[in-house]
Amino acid sequence: MAGLIKNLRVTKTGSSSRTLEEAHRRSMDLFREACRALPDIMDRYNLQEVTTLSELRSKIAAEFRKHSKVTNLKVVDMLVFKGQEELQYCIDHSKQRHHLLGQYIIGKEGLAGDIHKLGETDHGESEFLKSFYRGNS
Amino acid sequence: MMKHAVRIVQSRILQRLRLGVQLDTDVNASVVVPATRWCSKRMYSEEAHASSTHLDRGNVVARVLNAVKTHQKVDPTKVTESASFQELGLDSLDTVELVMAIEEEFAVEIPDAEADKISSCSQAIEYIAAHPCAK
Repeated sequence: MAGLIKNLRVTKTGSSSRTLEEAHRRSMDLFREACRALPDIMDRYNLQEVTTLSELRSKIAAEFRKHSKVTNLKVVDMLVFKGQEELQYCIDHSKQRHHLLGQYIIGKEGLAGDIHKLGETDHGESEFLKSFYRGNS
Repeated sequence: MMKHAVRIVQSRILQRLRLGVQLDTDVNASVVVPATRWCSKRMYSEEAHASSTHLDRGNVVARVLNAVKTHQKVDPTKVTESASFQELGLDSLDTVELVMAIEEEFAVEIPDAEADKISSCSQAIEYIAAHPCAK
């Protein structure tokens, strides 16, 4: 019966900002909305053992910071929309715990980087090969 | 807990209290006893029960500065009451994150228009000290 319990939040249709300042304001509004939803998300997915609220907030801020250099307004709007969609999935429990753990709490550095740190022996490969294996991300 | 106990006692008393009603058959008698005689202080809301709902300023300062110091990017030695967030090396995203941390610390919700104005420790302290619902 989960479908009958409507969350109050829905993702609205795409926005069109006219100035960079407006786009910046939209992204900050999204960040605030995400931070306000974080305690609910932590309860929903039982993340209390794994991380703290402030750490999760810093991780979300790091996600925002990845796109800090973008200046194209349409791209910013698209990124904000994707962020709202992502937030909606987290609130609706459309995602599962392992999604959040992999994407946000452990993150790419944890998943891929650790394999290199976990005692993989050095076969005398060149730096080129090592970065080839590590990939582009 | 105390407030809860007071409420229970209050409701029990009110259930058992019976006001004497005098039927005024003489229409010309004009003395009306106002019911407010019984309640000198109106206890309608949560705020009425607390003598002062604003937090003590020293408490506010300590907790706000602590929230700023525990931020990852901030150097704790540079944090003073008059430091602005830009001086501490924080950009706009960090400022919003810090304001959210302060919101969480004091269990308040700051509206966006007010939150945009907070760009230094002293402004945050002023806002929280003036907020009646801060815990």
